[in-house]
Parts: sequence; C-alpha cells; structure tokens
Amino acid sequence: MQTQFLGFGLGLRAPHFEQIIADKPAVDWFEIISENYFVAGGKPWHYLNKIRADYPVVMHGVSMSIGSTGPLNLDYLQALKNTIARVEPQWVSDHLCFSQVGNINSHDLLPMPYTDEALEHLASRIHQVQEFLGREMIFENVSSYLTYKDSQMSEWDFLAALHNKTGCRFLMDINNVYVSARNHQFDAMTYLNAIPTKAIAQIHLAGHQDFGSHIIDTHDEDVPPAVWELYANYAKQLGPVSTMIERDDNIGSLQDLMTELERARQLVAPIWQLEENNE
Amino acid sequence: MSDLASLQQQFMALLQGQNNDLANHIASHGQLATSQRLAIYQNAYKLRLRAAIEQDHAQLGIYLGDELFDKMVAEYLVQYPSNYTSLRFFADDLPHYLRNNAPFSEHPILADIAQFERLLLTAFDAQEHPLLTVDELESLTVEQWSVLQLPLHPSVQLVQFNSRAVESWQALKDKQLPPQPYCDNTRYWVVARDCERRTQFINVDLLEYRLLTLLRQQVNFVQLCQSCITDIPSEEITGFLISLINQWLERGWLVSATK
Repeated sequence: MQTQFLGFGLGLRAPHFEQIIADKPAVDWFEIISENYFVAGGKPWHYLNKIRADYPVVMHGVSMSIGSTGPLNLDYLQALKNTIARVEPQWVSDHLCFSQVGNINSHDLLPMPYTDEALEHLASRIHQVQEFLGREMIFENVSSYLTYKDSQMSEWDFLAALHNKTGCRFLMDINNVYVSARNHQFDAMTYLNAIPTKAIAQIHLAGHQDFGSHIIDTHDEDVPPAVWELYANYAKQLGPVSTMIERDDNIGSLQDLMTELERARQLVAPIWQLEENNE
Repeated sequence: MSDLASLQQQFMALLQGQNNDLANHIASHGQLATSQRLAIYQNAYKLRLRAAIEQDHAQLGIYLGDELFDKMVAEYLVQYPSNYTSLRFFADDLPHYLRNNAPFSEHPILADIAQFERLLLTAFDAQEHPLLTVDELESLTVEQWSVLQLPLHPSVQLVQFNSRAVESWQALKDKQLPPQPYCDNTRYWVVARDCERRTQFINVDLLEYRLLTLLRQQVNFVQLCQSCITDIPSEEITGFLISLINQWLERGWLVSATK
C-alpha cells in the first residue's frame, strides 16, 4: 500500500469545526477519531461533510482492540466499514493494543506482551480485519507504563517482526516512543531506528505530563522540546511522512495548534527538501 | 486458556478492582514500583469513564453534588461496565441505574434529569432526513391527504415527566436554584433538532403529545382527525390539525416520506 505524503495535519476537534469551515486555514489534512462518527447524523456529520469537501481526511480509531484474544467484534468492524464508506478517508489507522476483554471495554490502550504468541495473534488478526474491511490498515504504537516479564523481545523488535510478517505499516507516535522510553528506560532512537523506514506511514506529535519518575501520555500539552528533538532526528532517517499534531484534551485555539504545526513544517522542510508550504 | 488470554483477563479484572496475579507478570525496572505502574492504569480507567459521565450529565452532576455524584459513578462502573466501543453510549443505562438503586431511586427526578440529558444526546446526533415542505403538502390530492402519514424526524424524542426535571436542568444550566422537584401535573416534552441542527426542547400539552405519539405509530391523517373527536368540535378538527402540522413543519419535526 502506498500512503501519499499529505503534508502537515491536525486532529479534527469539535471546538474548531466552525472556524475551519469559515476560515479554511492552511492545514494540509485532518485526522478524525473514527468512533466519533459512529453516530447516524447531526452536527458531527454535518461539519465533517463540509470539512472533507475542502481537505483530505484520514480516520484514526481507538476501539478496534486488535490485540484482544476474544472473537473479533464484527459489529464494531461493520460500523467502521460503514463509516469508511461515508468518509472516504485517505487511510485508516488504529492502535497495536487490546482494549476489550469479553464484552467489557476498558476504553484504554492496554499494552501487549512482546511474545511469539502475541506476534502470531496480531498477525492473524491484522489479516482478518483487513480482509473484512477490504483495505489495509495502519497501526500506531501505544505509550505504556508497564512491561511484562513474559516478553521475549523488545517493543521495537516486535514491531519490526510484525512488519516483516504482515507487511503492515505504522503510525509512529513520536511522543509515545518518548513516553515509553522514559518509563521503561530505553533509548528512543534505538527504538525508531529498528523499524524499517518503509513501514512508516504517518507520524503523530503530542504532549505529555512529566512527573519526574514517569511520564503520563495526556495529549493535553504543547509538544515538548524533547519530542521535537526526537522528531527532527528521526526525520533525518525518513523520506517525507505525513505528520500531525494530536491534541485530545485542554484543546486550545486553532491558531495555537497551527503554530505548532508550522514548527513541525519548518523543522523538517529542509531535511525532506520540501518546498514552502508543501506546494 | 493461552498465556495471552489469561494475561488480558487478569488486566481487565484488575481495572475493575479485583485482586489477582497480574503484578507477578510485570517487569521491574526504573523508579516506579509495580503497584504504581498498575495504579496508573486503574486510575485512568476510572477517570476516563467518570469523565464520560460528567460530560454527558453535567447538570445531573451539579444537582447531585460531588459526594453523591462520586457514589453514583463508582457504583455505575461496577454494575454497568462498558459494553460499548464508543464512550458516547457508556452512560445509556444511567437513568435505569438511578431509578433502581437507593438512595437515588428515592428521588425520581434524578433519573428524569439523566433521561432528559440522554435524550438531548440522542437528538443531537440522530440520523439526517430531508424535511417535509409546505410545497409537498400543498401538492397532495384529497385522496392522498386521507391516507397521508407524517413521519417524525429521527431526532424527535417524546418524553413525559412527573417531576420538574427539565425546568431544574435549565435552572442549573443558567446557574440558578432549581425549582421544587415535583409537581401535580405530568409534563410533556419534545426534544428535537431544529432546522439549524440546534437541539431544542419544547413543552407541549397532552393533546399535542398524544398526536405526536400517534404519528410515531404511523397512523394516517384520517385516523389523526378521529383521535381528536372527544377533544375538539368536529368542524374545527381539520383546521386545528393543519395549524399544528404547520407548526411542526417550522420546527423541523416532520420528514418527507417520498425523499
């Protein structure tokens, strides 16, 4: 699967709907949370339909629970498939984690153990999900606060092996790598360098809360200097990859987010030899 | 059971406050103890679900106060763990919980406020449908009028309360003291999106409520007229209904049956 370089995007959030429609800001694309559009209609769809007439849109899910050992949630997958048909996104992503056990949903992105069993399981599920949806998916690395004794390999070796096994590509969340690196005391660049660059389809940049002894991945702050630095260093390894500022809480003004987005653009434009404003 | 399945079950049990063996599977490194690592996930689980209830039921939260709201959330999480993939629906059972669990069940207005807040959500994101227009009605023949059905817009929600739930909700939203919770007369409400997709709630009388309920049951215009015989002089029924239908058209409550 090829994922086009779309440039620099933002997560589409409700407080910005009307301003985006009125002002048509210089954002290259928007990412929506898939499950927010599992409703029939009303303002969410009204605004989305207007915005997607002017901007490319990608879909990002939080509830596929691809790593769960229970049966695939076919109701969820059908709702996702229906939403994909309405949105016609450039691509669709979710997370490499589990959220649901039995009928109960944690609404959290719970970390997988990095074992041969988990690798085989994820590979099989990715195949099944992609078959059902009739398209390839992109999967995001999650941040974590614990690792398992049972793990047989590092997270980065696990991702590389999953790519080798399935060909699946990744939404690399640079903040998540940084958060997990601090929480588990590994080198973030070692992680990033281990993933084949051809496997990187999209990048997320976000902020977090640093408590000294550990970091919580809150997505409620500006992208911190350490994450910018990691992004800039990682960009040197990559060709142009669609990059997005992800803010889920304490959502500020659209202008503030665009300022961050412009910083991302300025940071990597010389490295990726992009023309001004990605034109 | 596989190692992976067992680990996932233990993780979910831990989130729900059940002691188990998961801590023995967690690697030790860095400055955080295993108990602290697990507590991050346990806290996040509760906070995320609490935030979903807070967002959907802001005025109920004010009505209850912090202590009772905390009690409600804690018990609801245990009785109704989320079976949904979207948090939008997580609190769908909250009115049922409040109606059936003391001390909340001793104050029926609490379940009524919760139900009203859920209906606001239902109206907000209900399916789109082309609205019925005056031109469409004017083009109908007499024969077509007699069998005419007037489908309600999917956002239209009908509800009746024996409490001042809606008035209390509005007062709290306006940062005013709520009125006395209960009244002698049943209150009839329509919650719906208007033509500009704004969610509205309108107090209607029993007759209008009954007629809207009949529309929901897909009766035709003749049956609608017949239902008014005991309430309105027969020669005034058609005019009365046409006037009401015009009002419903302006409010965006009726949809086109042909589009």
